[in-house]
Amino acid sequence: MDTTPEPFLLLEPDTAPRLEAVTPILPAAEPLSRGWSPALIGAATLGLGIPTLWGTWLVGALFDRWNALGWAGLVVLLIGLSLIGLGIGRELRGLAALRRVDQFRDEFASGETDRVQRAARRWLERLPQHSEIVPALAAADTPESVLALLRSGPVQALRDATDVLGRTAALQSVAIVAATPSPAMDVLAVGWCGVRLIRQVAALHGMRPGMLGTLALLRKTALAAATVAAAEIAVNAATHAMVSHPLLRHLGGDVAGAGVAARRMIVLARAAAVACSPIVRG
Amino acid sequence: MVATILGASRLASDVLQRRSTFRIGVTGLARAGKTALLSSLAANLLALSAGRPSLPAVSDRLRRRRPQVTIAPAAASGIPRFEVASHVAALAADPPQWPARTTAVSLLALDIDVPREGLFAPLAPQRRRLEFLDYPGEWLLDLPLLGQSFADWSEMALRRLETLNNSEIARAFLGFVRGLPLGAQADEALTLTGHRLYTDLLRRMRDEAGLAFLQPGRFLMPPPGAPPPWMEFFPLSSRSPLANLLQARFKAYVDAVRRDLMSPMFGDLDGLVVLADLLSALHQGEAAFADARSALAAAADALRWDRSWTDWLAAFARLKLPPRAINRVAFAATKADHIAARQRGNLAALMRRLTHVPDGSAKSATFAIASVRCTEDVVETLAGRPVSAVRGRIIGEPRPARFYPGEVPDGVPDDLFWQHRFLALPDFEPMRLPDAGRGGIPQLGIDALIAFLLTDFL
Repeated sequence: MDTTPEPFLLLEPDTAPRLEAVTPILPAAEPLSRGWSPALIGAATLGLGIPTLWGTWLVGALFDRWNALGWAGLVVLLIGLSLIGLGIGRELRGLAALRRVDQFRDEFASGETDRVQRAARRWLERLPQHSEIVPALAAADTPESVLALLRSGPVQALRDATDVLGRTAALQSVAIVAATPSPAMDVLAVGWCGVRLIRQVAALHGMRPGMLGTLALLRKTALAAATVAAAEIAVNAATHAMVSHPLLRHLGGDVAGAGVAARRMIVLARAAAVACSPIVRG
Repeated sequence: MVATILGASRLASDVLQRRSTFRIGVTGLARAGKTALLSSLAANLLALSAGRPSLPAVSDRLRRRRPQVTIAPAAASGIPRFEVASHVAALAADPPQWPARTTAVSLLALDIDVPREGLFAPLAPQRRRLEFLDYPGEWLLDLPLLGQSFADWSEMALRRLETLNNSEIARAFLGFVRGLPLGAQADEALTLTGHRLYTDLLRRMRDEAGLAFLQPGRFLMPPPGAPPPWMEFFPLSSRSPLANLLQARFKAYVDAVRRDLMSPMFGDLDGLVVLADLLSALHQGEAAFADARSALAAAADALRWDRSWTDWLAAFARLKLPPRAINRVAFAATKADHIAARQRGNLAALMRRLTHVPDGSAKSATFAIASVRCTEDVVETLAGRPVSAVRGRIIGEPRPARFYPGEVPDGVPDDLFWQHRFLALPDFEPMRLPDAGRGGIPQLGIDALIAFLLTDFL
C-alpha cells in the first residue's frame, strides 16, 4: 500500500503579518574581568592617604602651635590637594578620550546610518577645524558614504598633518643624534622626542593625554605599529631623500643611527595616528 | 607547488599589508537563484562585520573573531559591479520584491580584515579581498565542449532535438537542416539563417520547455562586446563545404572557451558554487529532470579537470604559470526553504547523486540552501496523519499558506516517483529582513556553504 501523503497547498483562513526571522543566539564570550588590581588600589591608598593624613596631622600640629600658622598650613594643604585632584581629573579625561576612540570604532562599524552619522558628528566636535563637512555628512545617507566623506576629508588632512609632524620630529632626531656626544644620551633624547611626537599627534586628533594617558597611548601605539609595517618601506625612500640634502648629509648622514632614528620618527607618527584615529584604514 | 607559491605570496602580502585576492565563481542552471545568493552573501557578511549573528558557522570557524567587511571600490575593473544595496533594499521593502534576473556578468568584491589570534593578536589583521564572480551558468555548459569534436557534438545535438517531447519548437530548425543539400556551399546567408534558427530554438527550449542543457551556452549569454563571426554556427551532420565552415567556427568557439578558462578573470577561480533548482525540475517532469541531470553531470565532470602536463608545457612556452585548478566546488540545491527540514537532507543527497560527489570529499560538497528564507517549518495534520510542511506568505496574498510539494527522493527518481504529483513551487515572499537588511538576510545553509568555500581563506 502506498503511504506517501498527497501534496498540498492550503491557505489559512486568517491573514497574518510577514514572517520574521528568529535571530540565532550566539554564545556570548565571557567578558574579560576588568576589575581593579588590589595592588594598585593599595598603592593608590598609600600614595594619597598617607600624605593626606600626614598633612592633616601637620596642620593640626600647626594650629596647636599658633592659629595663624595653622591657617597658613591648611591653605597650603588645600591648594596642593586641589592641584593633585585637578591633575587626576585631567588624567582620567585623557584616558576617557582614548577609550572613546574604541567606542567610535564600534559605532563606525555598526553599519547603521543614523549611528554612524551621530558618531561622525560627535567625533568632528573634537576637531572643529574640520566642521565644514558637517552639511555633506547630513546628506550622506549610507554608512559607506559617511565613512568615505570622513576618509577623504578629516582623515586625509590628519594624515597629512601627522606626516608633517613626523618629518619635523625626524629632522630634530637627526640633529639630536648628530649633536649629542654619547650614545646613551642619544637614546634618552630620541626617546623624549618620540614621546613628545606621540602627544603632538594625539593633540592633533583632539586629545590631551596626561601622564597615564600618554602611557596608555604608548601601549596602543606599539600595538598599532604593526599595521603601519608597510609604511616602513615607503618611509625608507622618503627618509633617504630627506637626509640626502647636502646640509643634512653633512650634519647627520655620517652619524651612525641618525637615519634609523629619523625613519622611526616617521613610522612612530603614523602608528600614533592609527592609535588615535577611530577610522580604520580603507 | 603552485599552492606553496600561493601560500608564500599570501604571507608576503600579509607582511607588506597588501590584499591578496580570493575569487569564487557563482554559477548555475537557469533561474537557480544566483542574484539572491550574491545578495545574501554580501548582506550577511556585512552584518557579521557589524557584530550580528548572521552566519553562525562562519563565526565558529573564525573562533568569534569579528572580521571587518566593506564593499571594495570598483577601481578600474571592466566588469560591472554587483549592486548589493539595491537588491537588499528590494528584499527589505514592504511589500518585498525579488531581485530582477541578471543578464550580464557582474562582480561582487568585498574587503575583509580578519584579526589574528593568540600570540599574533597584536599584529595587523589579515587583509584579504573576496571576490564573487557571477559566472554565467550558460557558459558552464560550454566546458564539456572542450572534449568534443564538431561531428560528435552535431550528432548528439540533432539526435536530442529529434527526441524532444515538445517537437513543435524544433520543427523550423530541423526542417532547415534536413532541407540543406548534401553538398551545400559555405554560404554566409545559409550560416546566418541556420544560426538564427538554432539560437531561437535554444531560447524557446529554455523559456517554454524549461530545459537547462543548452549548448553552446554563449549563444544564450553572449560575452560583452560585438559578437565575432565565429560565433555564428549550428549543428550539422554532413561532409559539405558548409559543414567544414561550421566546423572551423566551432573550433574557434572552443578555443575561445579554453582561452576564457585561462584568462585572469574567469580562469583564476579559487572556488566555485554551482546552483540548481532541483525542486522545480522535479515538478516539470521526467524529461526536464533528465535534462537538468545531464546538464549537472556534464558540468560536474567538466569541473573535475586538473592541470595536465600539456597545460604546464603550454604555460611555460608562454612564460606564464599554468592556470589554477579550482580548489573547492560546492553544488547547491536552491529553494530548500520550500520543503520541510526533514526533507532537506534528501535534497542534498539527491544533488550528491546527480553530481557524483564522493562522500567525505574535501574538494567538493553538496548543500541544500535557501539564500533568502521565506518560510518556517510546521506540521500539518491530514486525515489524522502528521505531515511535515512549510508555512509562508505567497506574494500578493495576505493569508499564509501551508505547503508540501511531495516527497523529495534521496537519489535519482525511479518510475514509481513519476507516478505521483510534485507541486510547482509557489512564489513565497521573503521573511522580513532584520533592520532592513543591516542585520543580514535570513537564510538556510548559506553559512555552511561559505564556511566550506572559505576553508583555505580563513
